[in-house]
Amino acid sequence: MSLSKKEVSILIEVIYSIVFALIFLPYFFENQEKNLFLMDGLIEKIIQITIGSVIYFSIAYTILEITFKKKEARDERDDMINSKSYKLGYLLYEFSLFIFIGYIYTKFQNKELLNLTGNKELYNSFQLTDGGIVFFILVLLAFTSIIKSLYQFYLYRTV
Amino acid sequence: MILKNNLKEVRQKKGLTQEELGTNVGVSRQTIISIERYRYKPTLELAMKIAQNLNIKIEKLFYFVE
Repeated sequence: MSLSKKEVSILIEVIYSIVFALIFLPYFFENQEKNLFLMDGLIEKIIQITIGSVIYFSIAYTILEITFKKKEARDERDDMINSKSYKLGYLLYEFSLFIFIGYIYTKFQNKELLNLTGNKELYNSFQLTDGGIVFFILVLLAFTSIIKSLYQFYLYRTV
Repeated sequence: MILKNNLKEVRQKKGLTQEELGTNVGVSRQTIISIERYRYKPTLELAMKIAQNLNIKIEKLFYFVE
């Protein structure tokens, strides 16, 4: 299976999203009960993500440019594929926001109900924390990005 | 009705490669391949550019089949 420069470029983005999800999301998952200020090593994690991303994309695109020396023209087919995949990404993003609002609403509703039972431990587990929101947003962003890129790759292979 | 074309035959008769035709009309080789395989329907502008470049009438190059 021979891949074009654009297809390889999309795969680089997909791999980045998967690697990001596998390496960095567990940290936010472990700290989702905490507030942002109480997260251990948050600044170091952000620096790691930034430096890691810069190094990854620099190396990946340098190898891509060396392997595919010829510059590929961007044309109407690319525009059509991009508009279709970004439309899907936008729909998924809107759907994710809908889920996110539902998640927050459920948390609040359950919290109020649990408050009436007087069980403090269970009540505290339903607290909405900064860490929880950040984790939820990152999961949705990674999910949306992976699906959008895979659909873009699929269109490049089939259209 | 399905939009089909004679692009491959006409291009080969003119002795042009997919890469050359793509460069002449300002699109990638992949786009020419997609048009030849009926996967991608070009815009009117691109269809006219291709027809002009191959020196053929657009209706001879692109046609509908039932």
